[in-house]
Amino acid sequence: MADSIKEVPLKTVQVEALVVMKIVKHCSASFPTTATGSIVGMDQDGTLEITNSFPFPTADVANVEGSHQNDASSLAAAAPRAKANIAYQNEMIRHLKEVNVDANNVGWYTSATMGNFVNLGFIENQYHYQRENDKTVALVHDVSRSSQGALSLRAFKLTPNFMTAYKEGKFTTESLQKSKLSFRDIFVELTVNLHNSHLLTSFLHQIPAKPTTGDVAMPTSLADLQNNPMQMPLHPSADTLELSIDPFLEKTCDLLLDSIESHYTELNNYQYYQRQLAREQTKITAWQTKRKAENAARVAAKQQPLPEDEWQRIFKLPQEPSRLEGMLNAKQVEQYSKQVDGFTACVSAKMFAVRGNLLPE
Amino acid sequence: MAAVESSSFLHLARPLAPSSFNFQNNLAPLTVNIQPQAILSILDHAIRRDTPATPTTSSRVIGALIGSRSEDGSDVSVVSSFAIPHTENEDQVEVDVEYQKNMLSLHLKANPREALLGWYTTSPELNSFSALIQNFFASPETGTFPHPAVHLTVSTEPGADVQLRAYISSPVAVNAERAAESCLFIQVPHKLAYNDAERSALDLISSAKDNETRVAPVSSDVDSLANSLENTIGLLDRVSEFVSAIIDEEQEPNNALGQYLMGALALAPKVDPVQIEADFNNHVQDVLMPAPCHGCTFQ
Repeated sequence: MADSIKEVPLKTVQVEALVVMKIVKHCSASFPTTATGSIVGMDQDGTLEITNSFPFPTADVANVEGSHQNDASSLAAAAPRAKANIAYQNEMIRHLKEVNVDANNVGWYTSATMGNFVNLGFIENQYHYQRENDKTVALVHDVSRSSQGALSLRAFKLTPNFMTAYKEGKFTTESLQKSKLSFRDIFVELTVNLHNSHLLTSFLHQIPAKPTTGDVAMPTSLADLQNNPMQMPLHPSADTLELSIDPFLEKTCDLLLDSIESHYTELNNYQYYQRQLAREQTKITAWQTKRKAENAARVAAKQQPLPEDEWQRIFKLPQEPSRLEGMLNAKQVEQYSKQVDGFTACVSAKMFAVRGNLLPE
Repeated sequence: MAAVESSSFLHLARPLAPSSFNFQNNLAPLTVNIQPQAILSILDHAIRRDTPATPTTSSRVIGALIGSRSEDGSDVSVVSSFAIPHTENEDQVEVDVEYQKNMLSLHLKANPREALLGWYTTSPELNSFSALIQNFFASPETGTFPHPAVHLTVSTEPGADVQLRAYISSPVAVNAERAAESCLFIQVPHKLAYNDAERSALDLISSAKDNETRVAPVSSDVDSLANSLENTIGLLDRVSEFVSAIIDEEQEPNNALGQYLMGALALAPKVDPVQIEADFNNHVQDVLMPAPCHGCTFQ
């Protein structure tokens, strides 16, 4: 029985409305500092149901000397694998179990700004969770993107290939060529669906909704209309029609350029390594030819030849830098470019709408 | 900050718990702002109660309200809540005090700026057990003293509206022995408050409300833009239908609405078409400039 359950891979993630609200609240309250927390739920036929969540305690950065925002962010980003938080998480889950909440940890969530979540810390956290239980996901809530349009909530999981590679800790060119691992194979993104309970559905029908059909009493004066403005329904909202999303596009382009820059740094590091390697190799070949010539002379002189593999002790080959950083960078660049694509699609649609409005046909 | 107001409310001077002499009593009307995630969490708890109700478990559940107060204590925002296990039968009620204490300290560890505000229950009725629990939450040692404890009732009857009521209390007793189990509940106004960040989440949540499966996919920006546009066009169509019905003399004209629509239409700017064309082209070029980078980097 247990085996048959295991064989179904995760396909979708179903998030309870409560979890969405809790994550949004936590992430926006601590913005721009990164916020992280734990999610609980259970998996059923390839669907991971996430039914509750709770934030991780934030380390008291105010007491740390010379701390600033980045410190708080990096501390929060490392929170899911901190020892104290694992204890906190277990304690919390034990308490939640008493009030009939699904008491299985199914991953963690983090906040992001303009999709900048692809980094080593993210990988380490997810690895930490996925190592123990394969059916765990990382939920990423993008605070900045949600503020200008639709809610951005995505679920990620590391691929099995990447898991094995990360376990071995080897990210050399050779091993990457062999395993055919590229930046596209770091994560799998799972579709996220939202789920409401019956009780919540009934509650939602109470708060302002589309005007119902039927006779509406006509207002008697203009003041009537202005004093009782119409409550706009929550969905579909008019906020997505906001025109000023250029700053977001600009910011994303900035981040994209940053990423490309760090890609060049990586590239330079690698080239430096290659030059170093080539230099060492020439030295070794020189040494080997010299030793061969010496040996030939010694053989001619009827002497014992000297060993030819001594170069391994004399010369030290430089360590190849890990390619992981570069891979993540590539992934991040891809992420930003997709974002730019999405933004431009939205903006150009809005631009045409504005033109159509202002120019008579 | 947007809010869904409950109906207008008459404030009466509220009686207060006897306090120490140094403490300045505040007589300003109290308002309770409830954030959506607190309600969602209460509703979730109501679904997860022990079923079926046995003699030792009751149909209602209780929990604690967490949030923040304004400086003078007259404005309370309920930010979140957690459930507390309790048992209740005809003649006694038991609340897991230890659990409440542990959970509160766990919660405050993650949200150091929040405080205990009061408690909620999922039945609309107030009885002597409510008074008992209320006195526990308002007491100086374990509760919110010197601030009044807020009691929120959420009716969760299937098939009926979810009704929220907020109360505070003051001690009242016939005699000293019964003081612990009596108190006077006074209803206070409450409203649902949500901010911009939560709005997009609420948008998504309510998009599932007319869906039979109660499931909605997390849509992309373009999809939601299309949705909003369609909705707006629909609204405009309705208005123009209404106006043409009046012009065709099928419907009574209304001066107020006419005035309002004129005001709205007057907001459309008068611009030079040449200027607009030029600005439009400039801007679109700016926007589309970075777009191909996706294509050239990865294809």
